[in-house]
Parts: sequence; structure tokens; C-alpha cells
Amino acid sequence: MKTSADPVRDYLSAVERESSALPADRRQELLADLAEHIEVTRAERPDATVGEILAELGDPRTIAATALAEAGNAGAGALPRNEAGASVRRGKVHPLVPLLMLTLSLPFMMLFPDLPGPLFGVLFRITGAVLLCTSVHWTAVRKTTGVLLTAILPTAVIATWNLSGAPAGTPSLVANLITLAVLAGTAVWLYRVRRA
Amino acid sequence: MEPGDSAKQARAAAQLRKGVLEYCVLALMRDRPRYGVELLHALEESGALATSQGTVYPLLSRLRRDDLVTTTWQESATGPPRRYYALTDSGRAALDEFTRVWPGFRDAVDAFLTSPHPSTGDLT
Repeated sequence: MKTSADPVRDYLSAVERESSALPADRRQELLADLAEHIEVTRAERPDATVGEILAELGDPRTIAATALAEAGNAGAGALPRNEAGASVRRGKVHPLVPLLMLTLSLPFMMLFPDLPGPLFGVLFRITGAVLLCTSVHWTAVRKTTGVLLTAILPTAVIATWNLSGAPAGTPSLVANLITLAVLAGTAVWLYRVRRA
Repeated sequence: MEPGDSAKQARAAAQLRKGVLEYCVLALMRDRPRYGVELLHALEESGALATSQGTVYPLLSRLRRDDLVTTTWQESATGPPRRYYALTDSGRAALDEFTRVWPGFRDAVDAFLTSPHPSTGDLT
């Protein structure tokens, strides 16, 4: 594992990465519990090094696996069962679905510039972004980067372009193609770094 | 892949721990609320129940969601505030139930392990 100035942060992001299949609220709770444990232990045992405290906490993968198992067998109450079911369903969408929706929304709008073409394009983009964010195939950082580059950036560029009253025609086409290249590049990157 | 003997022993201990750990955690809260690090120390000192510390937090989280424990924040003279875990009524009921069935369970396992079993009795 690479080292950096902050081993606690590295440790917590390793847990976050390994537990990405957990529902977000569970993951945040686990991270908060572990962060609290580290802080309390450091206060109670000032002689212990951070490395010792983290070693006692254990392998992030083991902790994440335990958390996933606990989330899976929490069938005692009605609410936990529903949450577990939701977390299983979330992972079912193929990783290509959000990527294709996000990428194709722009050429779709270019081919059908009259209503309801742009409306469908925007719906594609929003649905794609939601599917991307709820997918288990990417980490939070990659999801954020993906949404920024494939949904927010093109929307901002197009809105700015249209509001500024820039000329239609060749410059508009070039701008669209550049945006499309960014979209496709980001989608290819996301597909490559996805988790099975 | 053939796991070594020590790995097999570790797995037997891990299997056993999985079943009883949550009741031992509940038992630790029987007399007073405890905070996470405190619970882990007690498990650590027991030896057999010592586990990778971080794995106890997902367990505590499930106990909270299943409404067997509640948590409250309390300030501390040293360091950050601690999250204290206390038994709820259903947590206490679950602990009582386990306390009732455990002796019979333990004795049955002991009986299997110590006395000659009828089918193996011929060989001794």
C-alpha cells in the first residue's frame, strides 16, 4: 500500500473503497465509528503509534466483508430486510447502461434538435447520472468525476453556448463534437476502471 | 488449496465466535452502558473472543438497527466524546433468552466431546 502523510485517512479510504457495495448511510456510519475508535484510542493510549492502532483494528477488507455480511443477514426486522434488498438490486444494472445513456444523450440531441428531442436527451442524461451514482461498479470519487464530466460539464457548456447567443452552424458543431469526445473519453475511462 | 492445521483451527474459532459474539457484547452492557473501545478491550482480554477490532463495529451497528441497543453521546474528561451503547428492553430479552439456552447447549457439546459416543465406543 502506498504511504502518505496521513495513514488514518488512507486507512479510512481503504475501508470506504472496500465497502462501496454497502448502502451509503451504512458506509458513513461505519467510517464514523472507526474514526471515533481511532480518536478515542489515541486519547487513551498516547504511547501507541497510529500504525499499532490501525493494525489492531484490522484489515479494511475484513471489516468491509463483515459489514456486508451484517447488512445481508439483518433480516430480523422488516426495515433492514428492505434495505438489504435495495442494496442487492442496486448492483444489477450493467455498467454499460449508465455510460451509454450519458454518452448518447448528446448525439441524440444533435440529431433531434426539435422538441421533444432535447427533452429525451436531458432525461437520458439525468437517468444515466442517477444509475451511475447508485452503481456498485465505481468508487465515490470516480462517480463524482464521471457525473461532472459526462453530465454537468456538457450541460453547462451547452447552456452557456445557447445563452450567449453564439452562432449556430460550424462553430456549434465543432463545440458539440469536442464535448462528445470528452463524454466518450470519460465513458471509456469509467468502463475500464469499473469493478466486476 | 489445502489449508494448514492452524488455519483450520482459526476457522473453527471464527465459526464459534460468529455465533456467540453478539450475546457476549450484549452481556458486557448488562450492568451499565459501555463505549466501543471499552467493549473491545473486554473482548480482547477474554482471549478466545478477541477478534479483529474493526469487525465489532458492523456488529454494533446491526444491534442498533435491530433495536437491541441504543446509543448516546457522552463527553469525556480525556479526549473526544464517546458513543455509549446500552441495552434496550428487547436487547435485555435477547440476552436473557441466550442466557437460558446456553448452559444446555454448552453441556450438550461437552457431552459429545468428552464421553465416548455410542458409534465410536466399539473402538475404544
